Amino acid sequence: MLKGIGVSEGYGIGRAAAAVMPEIKYVPKTDCDSKSERLRFENALKIFTDNNSELAEQVSRTVGQKESEIILGHIMMMQDPYMRSEIEKSIDKGNCAEAALDSVCNTFIAMFSAVDDEMTKQRAADIEDIRTEILSILTGVKRVDLSKLDKDTVIVARELTPSMTACINKENVVGIITETGSKTSHAAILARAMEIPAVLSVENALEQIKHGDEVIVDGVTGTVIVSPSDKEKNVYISKRDEYIERRSRLREFVGRPTCTADGRRVELLGNIGTPQEAEKVISQDGEGIGLFRTEFLFMDRSAAPDENEQLEAYKKVLLTMKGKQVIIRTLDIGGDKDIPYLGLEKEENPFLGFRAIRYCLGHEEIFDTQLRALVRASSYGNLSVMIPLVTGTEEFRSVKKKVVEIMQEFDTSNIPYDKNLKLGVMIETPSAAIIADLLAKEADFFSIGTNDLTGYTLAVDRGNANVAYLYSVFSPAVLRTIKHVITEAKKANIPVGMCGEAAADPLLIPLLISFGLDEYSVSASSVLSTRREISRWTKEQADEIADKIMSLETENSIVEQLKKTVLSI
Amino acid sequence: MVSKKITVTNSQGFHMRPAMAFANAMAKFPCDVLIKANGSSTDGKSIMNIIAACIKCGTEIEVVCDGQQENEALDAAVEMIESGFGE
Repeated sequence: MLKGIGVSEGYGIGRAAAAVMPEIKYVPKTDCDSKSERLRFENALKIFTDNNSELAEQVSRTVGQKESEIILGHIMMMQDPYMRSEIEKSIDKGNCAEAALDSVCNTFIAMFSAVDDEMTKQRAADIEDIRTEILSILTGVKRVDLSKLDKDTVIVARELTPSMTACINKENVVGIITETGSKTSHAAILARAMEIPAVLSVENALEQIKHGDEVIVDGVTGTVIVSPSDKEKNVYISKRDEYIERRSRLREFVGRPTCTADGRRVELLGNIGTPQEAEKVISQDGEGIGLFRTEFLFMDRSAAPDENEQLEAYKKVLLTMKGKQVIIRTLDIGGDKDIPYLGLEKEENPFLGFRAIRYCLGHEEIFDTQLRALVRASSYGNLSVMIPLVTGTEEFRSVKKKVVEIMQEFDTSNIPYDKNLKLGVMIETPSAAIIADLLAKEADFFSIGTNDLTGYTLAVDRGNANVAYLYSVFSPAVLRTIKHVITEAKKANIPVGMCGEAAADPLLIPLLISFGLDEYSVSASSVLSTRREISRWTKEQADEIADKIMSLETENSIVEQLKKTVLSI
Repeated sequence: MVSKKITVTNSQGFHMRPAMAFANAMAKFPCDVLIKANGSSTDGKSIMNIIAACIKCGTEIEVVCDGQQENEALDAAVEMIESGFGE
């Protein structure tokens, strides 16, 4: 058994194909006609650029835009004015195009490798990849063609360059093994995007695995088994089939409405932290955005973003979601989230201190800018705005007043916005939960934030190892709180959602169905499994489970009972 | 010649993507663009040189523009760095 780093999950069983680059040889010449060598180099560069532009477009279509940028980066590196002028200078001294390219690339490879920084070192591998590709064009040596492999092939290579990975036909490749690379290398990113199990950094893989050997690639644990016994093979065949089945069962839920077994429709939304992640929610068939955290806009910079910059970010998400619901949460800083230029003071009890809506109402210049950007953004889609850490009615009324004032100003200056913009409360403090009936009169919707609600209800800091055992959404106090909030929202006839991973928890879902939760907002990767879990229960079954659970007295017995009921069916 | 000192604040510094964006944007201006950082000067139009300079988050750099449209180039450079390259 060989050990490596599992970078792409799944199990692959197949025959090894060694992808060894043919050695590219050329005789360096020093008395060339510089005019014709320049022309050869220009032609090779053009072929390189054309090939890679086409490849980038193909990868962008089949794998993802972010992955295609790796290849666009290669084009840009090769067209770098400094790099080109160095190569041209060398050619003008009489060197052949091959030697000129080789020596300039070597200079950069040495330069990048010498820097004590992982990211910069990885760029050295990019240049090696580019050099090999252009040398093969110049010399006419054919490269390994990974697009024409037999079915059930496991590729074994010293390293997989982005250009090699990009032409892999994923129908025929069941696994990837390389001698170099890590979780963040290009090959790893592409393998994950193509869902091919991959184990990288397997020492001497090319010596230990011979062309044609039967191999098992375990991308979960990062192990490789060469010439497995029948027993080992059978174990892995069932592992693989189970994995594939689990994944395809989830895929069956793509395009289906989210509803309980007896046909009650609920909304299933995604949580995101940057505008780009909205694409991911769509790719997993999320029906909207239930929580867009806006903190990222304020991080890693020296001053707060202005109204226009914020507008662009919100607009991007709304346009991506094409009229589907988008809930944006206003700035939630303080507590454990610090942003240096906002001038937050060190506090004795940051979680009970100047954070979220409290900070925003104390810094009108920042809050007003965000609200103005949000109101303007509302004209680009179906926008709801959610206020974090509300504890009382006054706070929420102040926000509403601000929004009304902004709308009035926009009316007089003819700035478009959506008059149906909805304003809701994020229920994450016990006080908000207790007065849910009062808040429900003011708010257009509720969204239960389970992380903070659990922490504040149980007075537990999850990060403190001495007390973390007390932190559980299944404690009777938290469950009763959630039920109360949902019940009050129903009475007031406003929609109520839950954002946070608890909404994706198979054990909690039957209870949420019984309580009557309208919206489940989960991370993109949990969308399909949440849809499946919801579809398992009828309202009647869920009520039966909830009745039993809500009569239990301890967290322990609740979890035990839920496991018995939920996981056994 | 115009110049401005500025601190790199995006978390990953001038890694691949910001370097691509920066070199691309600077290539549109006719003037020379230099990035002075960690005691050496780097051609701001060359992605290769920018990557090799390995400018990380928190580094104070000086952007120097010299030639035609130097003011516009400097403004564009400063704005890109201040906005954290849209990270």
